[in-house]
Amino acid sequence: MKMREDNEKYNKMIEILRNSRPELLRPEEIEDKVIRRIRHERSKAEITSGFIETVFGWVYIDWVRRSLIGVAFVLIAVFIYQQASILKQVNNISNQVVIPGIGQGTASSSEFDKKLTIYKISSGLSGDREIKISENQLEELLDSYQDLQGKYKDLLRIIEENPELNKYIEKRLDEEKNNKPDL
Amino acid sequence: MLKLRLINKYSESLIGKEIIEECRKGDFRNFRKVVEKTSPMVFSIAFRMLEDEDIARDVVQDTMVTIWQKLAKIKTADNFKTWVYRIAVNKCYDQLRKRKRMPEQRYDDQRWTLISNHLSAEGVTELENKENAQIISLLTNSLSPKQKAVFIFSELEEMSNDEIAEITGMKMTAIKANLYYARKNIATLLQKYL
Repeated sequence: MKMREDNEKYNKMIEILRNSRPELLRPEEIEDKVIRRIRHERSKAEITSGFIETVFGWVYIDWVRRSLIGVAFVLIAVFIYQQASILKQVNNISNQVVIPGIGQGTASSSEFDKKLTIYKISSGLSGDREIKISENQLEELLDSYQDLQGKYKDLLRIIEENPELNKYIEKRLDEEKNNKPDL
Repeated sequence: MLKLRLINKYSESLIGKEIIEECRKGDFRNFRKVVEKTSPMVFSIAFRMLEDEDIARDVVQDTMVTIWQKLAKIKTADNFKTWVYRIAVNKCYDQLRKRKRMPEQRYDDQRWTLISNHLSAEGVTELENKENAQIISLLTNSLSPKQKAVFIFSELEEMSNDEIAEITGMKMTAIKANLYYARKNIATLLQKYL
């Protein structure tokens, strides 16, 4: 009985609330305010679009657009060409022999060139021919060259210190010079 | 009930698909008509959700401006009413979030007397906006915004669960659970104080 009563109360309350739909008073006031706000926002949007039109409007001119497309293509082509040439150069550099140690304190680059020229001459290679040697071979060559130079200096010193030997060698050199056939 | 259903159908048919289609395609000359026809239904929801006439009027304005801004983007005018309700409910949620959480309302003698008078009256009486707000506020004070929205849409606006799901984006089980809790809560209050 109590439960039925409670249900009835609930249902009646809901019925009253449903029946009492909130009434919008002065609707025209809201309409006017909405239209005003919309107009205001529209004018703001128009100002913005007007500014954009003034600053960037020229891009809509047909011939300007076409020219810009052309320029864009040219720039892309230049960019691709530049990238390709840079890649090519990088590849060339990476293919060259890298010798660590040389040019960093132990020997100067000019010294290295001198050594390389000597190697080329002693091996009967022409200057513009490409040579390929391993790092070990090169090191061996430089060692033997330096060893040879040391021995040559020692020999010169011995000759200078011994006047008889000096005279003998000068005499032999003169004789050899005289015996040399004219070419 | 029949009266309310007729009101709903009437207001819906008055908006007119052609007007919405024209506005959707960028012709806003008829927008005043859209505002005129949709404002009462938006106001009804906003008022029942927020229990404050001035805030509800602000929500109506905001909703209308949002409709104007987004009308061109909707794909079809078929679900226009649901779409409008969805915007309005989201605006109401925003307002409720802004409000500080109200403390548990104590027994309000005056308001309960008001309810009691209406319940004991013969037949179904009609409430003025102020009374309406007071009673809804008293009955739904302890409900969460979602429970309140489901209660208002289902019990007061007489919408189906499918419509509520479309408007609120809630799942069917959530709608049923929220509605059950809201009904139970309100029934308990009525039982307790009357």
